[in-house]
Amino acid sequence: MQRPVSSFSLSPGVKVKLASAGFRVTADLLHLSPPQLSREAGLSQQEALEVLQAVRSDGGGGASMSALELLQKEGELKSIVTFSSHLDAALGGGVPVGKSTEICGTPGVGKTQLCLQLVVDVQVPQCFGGVEGQAIYIDTEGSFLLQRVVDVAAAAVRHCSLLVEDEEQRVAMTTFTVETILSNIFLVRCHDYVELLAELHLLPDFLTGHPKARLLVIDSVALPFRRFEDLSQRTRVLYGLAQQLAAIATRHLVAVVLTNQMTTRLRGNQSQLVPALGESWGHAPTIRLLLQWSGSQRLATVFKSPSHADATIQYQITSDGFRDSDQSACSQPGTSC
Amino acid sequence: MNWDQLDLNPRIRAAVSPSLTLIGRGSVRSQRFDLCSVRWFSAVLILRGECGLRLTVGCPVLDELLRGGLPAGGVTELSGESGAGKTQLALQLCLCVQYPVQYGGLNAGAVYISTEDSFPIRRLQQLIREQSCLRSDVPAALISSLQFTDHVYVEHAADVDALQVCLSRRVPLLLTRGLVRLVVVDSVAALFRSEFQADDWLERNKQLLTFSSALQQLSLEFNTPVLCVNQMNDLNLFVFRLSPLSSSVSPALGLAWANQVMVRLMMQRLQGSVERGEQSSALRRLEVVFAPHLARGGRDAAVWREGLRGVKYTSS
Repeated sequence: MQRPVSSFSLSPGVKVKLASAGFRVTADLLHLSPPQLSREAGLSQQEALEVLQAVRSDGGGGASMSALELLQKEGELKSIVTFSSHLDAALGGGVPVGKSTEICGTPGVGKTQLCLQLVVDVQVPQCFGGVEGQAIYIDTEGSFLLQRVVDVAAAAVRHCSLLVEDEEQRVAMTTFTVETILSNIFLVRCHDYVELLAELHLLPDFLTGHPKARLLVIDSVALPFRRFEDLSQRTRVLYGLAQQLAAIATRHLVAVVLTNQMTTRLRGNQSQLVPALGESWGHAPTIRLLLQWSGSQRLATVFKSPSHADATIQYQITSDGFRDSDQSACSQPGTSC
Repeated sequence: MNWDQLDLNPRIRAAVSPSLTLIGRGSVRSQRFDLCSVRWFSAVLILRGECGLRLTVGCPVLDELLRGGLPAGGVTELSGESGAGKTQLALQLCLCVQYPVQYGGLNAGAVYISTEDSFPIRRLQQLIREQSCLRSDVPAALISSLQFTDHVYVEHAADVDALQVCLSRRVPLLLTRGLVRLVVVDSVAALFRSEFQADDWLERNKQLLTFSSALQQLSLEFNTPVLCVNQMNDLNLFVFRLSPLSSSVSPALGLAWANQVMVRLMMQRLQGSVERGEQSSALRRLEVVFAPHLARGGRDAAVWREGLRGVKYTSS
């Protein structure tokens, strides 16, 4: 793209020097190295470096795509299967890569279990229909317990080894073991919101260095923000966080999965359970899942999705992980099975 | 792990020394952020490290329910009605932690923060006398060599402020010196229910969050199990059922507290009793309400002279 140099956010002095040296569009600058530029335009080394960084990072922007190209691109993006066929059907194939999904629920209903299932499922080899990617798990609650991850990983390996039909799948199974699954999960522990924000600030560089990463889980995004004193500042920080996550999801083709807590909201005399972090946070994730109890049954409801109708399904947590419930699924919201 | 060994982009390496201006639209906070504290671990490294540490409860039946015992990195809550046996389990843990790691302990003492009654020292002494009966897996010589009372630090916190002071000053000191590796708070509910009026629930929740994040911080920083004893509430119309329990009571302090605990256990007193020789005990049940690594379930247990033991039913 031929973008004029004067449209970049550089200091006026630098712009004047560049203009007087004859650099008007980005094409004039791209092939130069910092010492060459500083000599030609009379800039200091530091300024020349900044100019070139600004010009180079603008590289891909501005190109437009037709809707057909977008459709083809989306068709290539796979979804991460959850090993629960009913939930996959409700989500349209699984947790979509390139979008952000939020899982809300009361404590103990299975949010962390679903996240652990996903970090294992993202690594399923492509010949089995998986995404074969790596996972990054940002743990703010300390609930990433290895005993459980090993259980879920071992069950997934067993499940896939029973499905082996041809040579390609047999070869793939040699690299799909509990040890390799664990080595492809990158774990970060964050103790407060400052660490979480800093972690996300550094994440794009990490993702550039690990192009196979396809899943980012933040468990939970609510906990570090519950203690915020100033609610308006919290909203601002959360908006910034949401923007960063959306950028990470689209630019690096990563499925972002967030876990949220529930809180009670009082309206007059009535109180109801709502997801935490406020109304404004509800706009941040693309897809929202609510996990809840109904009697002794666990239900998952998709209550926000741009491409699928609201649906409620039953699931269970077994020693193998997140699975379909033994009974048949309910597809109409509000009906009890 | 030295951060030099990490496979970092050179640009990130260069960013370590100067202070990092913090993100967040509108909030400009310049903070010296030490990159060493943010590390990307591959999960395989954790498998080989100390992160799978568990503190045994002292009984193989109950350890089987808990898959080894209390996890070392999070807050475990033990709730139950009065007389269910929560303090018994807490006292038993204060002794279990003092054994070496190969016997399920953590080779250090315990700090017991009491908020209600005075510390039950007589019962602790009785438990110490009967340790060889409870822990038949440990050689008698080792048991007699351990000075149990020397390593149980008792703190009294009469109100929320005293509790905060205790958690911010005295407990970290004990933890840093390696003198203790178990923190017991008995009980959480007593302070937060008595000090706040019904309308003050916003203030109460704020204090509760401060308290629980202090506990979580200590637990993660020192890789120490934290046990909080909680009371029960009668379920009324305004309290939400958080789990499919069929009883009419639920743990106190509501959803705000429930969101902060990692493992929730419940002790119930059942009808019926168990006999053993000339001793008899009311039957109890230790239930796992939720935990990231445990299946829901429970085991029957009884309280004897030597402590809390699970009841093993031999199929007949």
